[in-house]
This record gives sequence, C-alpha cells and structure tokens, in this order.
Amino acid sequence: MTPALAIKNYTLDYATAAGPVHVLHDISLQIEPGEVLGLVGESGSGKSSLAWALMRHLPDNAREIAGSLHLGDTDLQRLSPRELTKVRGRRLGMVFQDPSTALNPTLTVGRQVTETLVQHRGLGQREANALAIDLLGHVELRDPAAIMLRYPHEISGGEKQRVIIAAAFGCRPDVILFDEPTTALDVITGARILELFARLREETGVAALYISHDLALVTRVADRVAVLKHGRLVEQAPAADIFRAPRHADTQALVQAVPRPERRLIHDRPSDEVLLAASDIEVHYGRASLFGHAAPPATRRIGLDVRVGEILGLVGESGSGKSSVARALTGLARFSGKVRFDNREITGARDMNAAYRRDVQIIFQHPDSSLNPRQRISEILSRPLKLYGGNTAEIPRLLEQVRLPASFAGRWPHQLSGGQKQRVAIARAFAARPKLVICDEITAPLDVSVQAQIIELLLALRAATSTAFLFITHDLNLIRQIAHRIAVMRGGEMVDLLPIEDFDADHVHPYTRELMAASPVPVG
Amino acid sequence: MSLAWFARRLLLMIYTVVVVSMLVFAITQILPADAAQSLLGENATPEMLAALRAKLGLGDPAWQQYLHWAGRIFSGDFGISMRTSRPVGPDMLTALSRSLLLAVASIVVTLIVAVPLGVIAALRQGRLADTGVSLIAYLGVSLPEFVTATLLALLLADTLHWLPATGYVSPLENFGDGISHLALPVLTISVILIAHVMRMMRSETLDVLRSDYIRAARLKGLPERSVLFRHALRNALLPVVTIIALDVGYLLGGIIVIEEIFAIPGIGRALMVAITARDLPSIQAGALIMAATYAVTNTLADLAYAVLDPRIRYD
Repeated sequence: MTPALAIKNYTLDYATAAGPVHVLHDISLQIEPGEVLGLVGESGSGKSSLAWALMRHLPDNAREIAGSLHLGDTDLQRLSPRELTKVRGRRLGMVFQDPSTALNPTLTVGRQVTETLVQHRGLGQREANALAIDLLGHVELRDPAAIMLRYPHEISGGEKQRVIIAAAFGCRPDVILFDEPTTALDVITGARILELFARLREETGVAALYISHDLALVTRVADRVAVLKHGRLVEQAPAADIFRAPRHADTQALVQAVPRPERRLIHDRPSDEVLLAASDIEVHYGRASLFGHAAPPATRRIGLDVRVGEILGLVGESGSGKSSVARALTGLARFSGKVRFDNREITGARDMNAAYRRDVQIIFQHPDSSLNPRQRISEILSRPLKLYGGNTAEIPRLLEQVRLPASFAGRWPHQLSGGQKQRVAIARAFAARPKLVICDEITAPLDVSVQAQIIELLLALRAATSTAFLFITHDLNLIRQIAHRIAVMRGGEMVDLLPIEDFDADHVHPYTRELMAASPVPVG
Repeated sequence: MSLAWFARRLLLMIYTVVVVSMLVFAITQILPADAAQSLLGENATPEMLAALRAKLGLGDPAWQQYLHWAGRIFSGDFGISMRTSRPVGPDMLTALSRSLLLAVASIVVTLIVAVPLGVIAALRQGRLADTGVSLIAYLGVSLPEFVTATLLALLLADTLHWLPATGYVSPLENFGDGISHLALPVLTISVILIAHVMRMMRSETLDVLRSDYIRAARLKGLPERSVLFRHALRNALLPVVTIIALDVGYLLGGIIVIEEIFAIPGIGRALMVAITARDLPSIQAGALIMAATYAVTNTLADLAYAVLDPRIRYD
C-alpha cells in the first residue's frame, strides 16, 4: 500500500549572509493511511520547517538540497502553483498553533469555513452553509448556526481552534498537519481539543503528522513518535515504547525533562513563619466612565500567605486572575485589601516603599518584553544593584549564579536564546537579594528541556539564598514537583489552597480534580 | 453596530463643535482688548465705536455674550456681513458646497488611483513597478501645491488647451463646463493625496500579506485572487480610512492655496476675504463651518472604520 505521506532523505538549508544554515538533514519518515505520527523536538530542531516544506510554503532563502516529499502518489515538490491550490486544504490540511491569529479578524467564522468547501468541494454557497453548520456542530460547538455569523473576536480561543479543525476536516483531506495546536490554549481547553482530535480521527481515519515540543502530550495522541534534534532524526518508536524505553540519549533527555508529579524535586519543609500574608485582595482594571460601569474586579477577595523559604504554587487557566494577584503584590495593579509583609501593613501600591520593592521581586513570562532591547546585559543588571546599594562589580558573580558566562555582560538581549534571556531576568530579580520572588509563568514560552534547566536553577538559588517563591503557572504537573502548597484559581476566585500531600485526598475541589485530569501525564 | 457606540460618537462630535465654537468666539470677540476698535481700525470715530460696541453687546459678561451668540448661530443666524451687508450663513454655505465638491471629487479620484497602485506596488515589492510607483509618489509629496498647480496648468491649459486654466462653473448649471473647470484643481490636490494614500496602502498591504491569517488562507488552498481580495484588501484598507480623514483636515486648510490659484470661490477664499476685510461675522461663520465639517468627516471615518472592522463596534 502506498503510504499517505512519504518523506525520503530530505535535506534542507537556509541560505544566509553568513553561509548556509542546515535545517533538516537526511530526514526519512512515512505515515501510513490512518496513522498518526508524532514529531517531537525543541524549538530550532527544524520540526516547523518540515511542516512548511510539506505545505510548500518555504521562505525564499530555503534550498532543498536532496530528497523527496510525496503525498500518496503526488510529488509535492513538482506541483505547479495551480496544482498546489488543489492539494492544499483539499488533500493536505493544516491546523495552526495560534488560533487567534490564524482566522481573519474581519470575516465571519462561517465565511472562513464555507470558502474552502466552495473552493474544494464545488458546493454552492447555500449547500456550503448547511454543511458548515453540520461540521461546526460535529466539533461540539454549541449553536453552530449562531457561531457562523460571529467574528473571530466574539468566540473563545478553544472555539476558534475547533472552527479551524472543522474547516480542516471539512474537505476530507488524506493527511492533516497539526502544528502545536494546543500550545496557545490553557490546559483544560487543550485537553478537550485532544479528545476531539481522537474522536474525529477514529471517525474519519485521517492520517496526521502531529508536531509538538511536548513529548508527554504527543504520546497520548500518536501511534508512533519521531524525535528530531538539530535537524536530524534521532529516534522513531511506537508511542507506547518511547517513554518506557527511550533508546537515544537525546530522547532520554526529553523524557527526563517532562515534569511528572510523582517525582518531587524538593524535600525540605518550610518554616511556619509567615513572610507575606494577603487578605481580601481585589484587583481593579479600568475605572467607571461617563458611559459605562467599571469592569468587575479581576480577582474576588483572594487571601493567601507565603511562608519564609516556601514555594507556593498558584495555578489556573488563562483569565483566572492568577497574574492579577502577581500584579497586585508587586504594586503594578490597583487593588483593595490588605497585605502584611515582614510585619508591616500595606494597603495599596503607595505603601510599597523601596524596602518592600527590594524584598519582593517579579520575573515575567516573556523575557523578550521584560528586558530592554536597547540595554546591554550589564546595564540591565546594574540598575537593581545601584538602586539597592549593591556594587556593579557583582555582575560577573550574578551571571555565574545563573550559570551564564561572565562575558555575557557585554551582550545585547537579542544575542541570547530564550532560555538565556530568562536567566538574565532571574539574575536581575536576585540582584536585589529578595525575600520573595514572584515567578509569573516564567517557563511557559520555553521548551520542556529548557524549562527543566530553569527549574533546576531556581531550586539551586533557593537552596543558596532561602528565598521564598510564589510560582504562577498553568502546568499542574510541574508545580506538583516543586511546590510546598498549591493554590488553585478559577474565574477570579480561589477554589483550593492545599498542601502538596493533600492533592490526592477526597476533599479537593472538583475543579482541581478536573485540572489534574486534563494535565497530560506521560503514558508508560 | 451598537446604538450606544453610535450615540457616543455623535456626542463626541457635538462636544468638539461646541468647544471649537467657544474658542472661535473667545479669540475673535473676547480676547481683543476692544473688539470694536480692532474691527474698525485706527480711523473710527467714537460714535462708530460706541454703536458697534452696543451692537456686539461688548458691555455684557463674556458668558452672556457667548450664549447669546451661540443661540443665534444654533437657530441658523450667522449675522450680517460687515463687508457686503448680506446674511453670512447662505453665502458661506454656498462657498462650502463648492469646496466640498472639490474635496470629494479629489478624494474619489485619489481612491480610484491610489488603492490599486498601492496594492500593485506591494505585490511587486522591490521590482520595477514598485520602484516606479514609489518614485512618482515621492515626487507628488515633495512638490508644493503651487508648483504642481502651475506645472499642470502650463501643460494642460496653456500648451494643450484641453482645460480652462481658472474659474468656477457650477456643474448643476452646466455639467460639462463645470467638470472641465474642476479638473485642474482636482488633479493638483489628487497628486498630493495619491502619494499619501498609496504609500500607506503599500505598507499596510505588505503587513497584512505577512500575517498568519493570510498564510492560513493560502494554506487552505484558496487561489491568490481570493486571498488578496477577500482576505487582505479589507484589512489593508483600515488605516487608509484614517489617513483620508486626516487629509480632509489638510484639504480644508490647504485648499485656500488651490482656490486662490484657480480662482474658485470656495470656503477658503471666503475666509481669506473675510479676514482681510475684518468681517467678524464671516470669520466666525467660516471658522465654525470648517471645524464642523472636520468633525463630521472624522465621525464618518469612524463609521467607515466600524463597517470595515467588526472588532471596533464594541469598544
């Protein structure tokens, strides 16, 4: 039988001013009809380039050095532009990483589903409408006829991804490429999308290439998994085996990096002394105007305390208000309620004096936007040092502390990788010798393996300085590895605040249980 | 489009006009130490000054003067011109209608030429067509109106005798003659506007073509024609609407030069004449009418924006 998709000895370079960059080297992969192949690799491993090559959407400087790409009997590299429009969407579909940018903001959702049906299945607009309503209903969207008339900004991220999936399946393609389809969604929404994918796959028998950096997630959806590292294929194995018996060292490293709740990374107990106690915290954004009421508070009377040297986890979906708590505690957002820090009462951002701001540091999610691109690393680090009476001679020590070479002081942020930039942000926070560091989703934009290194670094810093952490994340598996206690938020309210030992107990909130069920625990 | 949104825009427009009317009134009638003196000049007799002060109500408190004045204007009475002794309102509105005709015709010509040119330049980025179009556009913005006007008049009127060089004929009275008299000023204005709009259209089209949803549309297998016309064009047009609304502001001010060169009795010229003649009611009416036109245009632009972009309607 002809494979649904066959990649043979494919080698791809990007031509740059500094000479060719090797992106993919001698890749051979096959997907049988009805099979799902997972493709795993870190960012920069070339997995997305492979998807663009298959979709024939390579940048102008791409050079295909060797190999072939076949969809069934069709040689993808020899298609004319006209033939290509009959293959894309029709025989080879694609579901994108970020559903919020993949839909056109000025066209109705219905239009964006029906246009492919009209184009590829030769339907009239009326038939296409009827079919689109069917398709949207089939991806479990409520009231599909109403959704058809909405614009993308009027539906949620999960709903958008369902719309894109409905459109991709609507033309009954032979193969669908999934490019990290759940990365931009929160855990529970992502889990529902995976369930939907499993069901549709069963019903339609479509073959798929599922691309992700998350090995644990891929093993749940794929039949086989291929691991890509620096453009080379290092291992291919059935999904059930790869976790249990990874053969290649790179695969083993990936398996090691996947957070598993049962593998605790800290073993000490924090003291009982309370460092920060917050009660009745309500965060307000915007004010009432002449024409409208103020928005409701982003958090509703949140209370929590962090003890000296403790790691307190704070989890919830996007929009649950967890970042608002961080913004309140650092004085970045207007709030009502009381904060008691180091035996001092604070009732608002104005009460947060230099001492408080020194003691409570924050690290943000995106180092790209939290590091000034026009300042060298040394300038970035000297600011907190000067502010809090330190000495710029400490900069090499600070960099060493976060395991960066001292020579990085002279570099600009754009010369660093994502993980390195986050290390600089960590060094900046620790330059002030804080008592509490708030980490706001600091590993979310990073690969699993880089995440593991950052976590290890944070724990080493904690061991050396006995700093307390408020660690905000949506990754329950990760936080269960490192936190002493975990607070769970939903819709601005705190539904649970449990010591880690109690997580399997009966009295946990149903929502917490739902979160746990949605977190992809590795197979095997 | 929600009604509340529309009401808010409308209120904002009215608010703008009211603030402008206060400014206009303050600058022309309150701020001068003696408005009567500054109106009548050095040679005024005490009797004339006293008569005018009484007529303008200069003895009353400022707010009373303003309310009285605003009340009259609200009921459509802009006063009597001190120069012609005719009611100011009708004369100014006639002048405005001529200027508006010129402005609207110029914008229509601009859109018809600039939008396709901008898109073509974007699609042929870096190639000959792009460079050529951009070069012409740069020429268009760099030449001052009076140079462009003179060059065009020399070529099309004096050398080729295709068009009349100056003057105004209402298209309602004689359509053909009216259009041929409009052609040169419209061309002059369009040359400048086309350069603005085309460059905006080019860069916006480039931006939109690089976006994720255009890539998604291409990878869905849509032909390039649908990608361009259905997906890209509407999004690329959005900022152009803003540019045009801003250009209307330029038109209202800059049109004075064009009206002078081509001897068109529009609002700009009327205002110039009024200022030279120290014709207070005409100055007030002219300034107010221009401001109101600008406010209305910007409200229309907001509306057009909301029609093009569904996300706007709920903010």
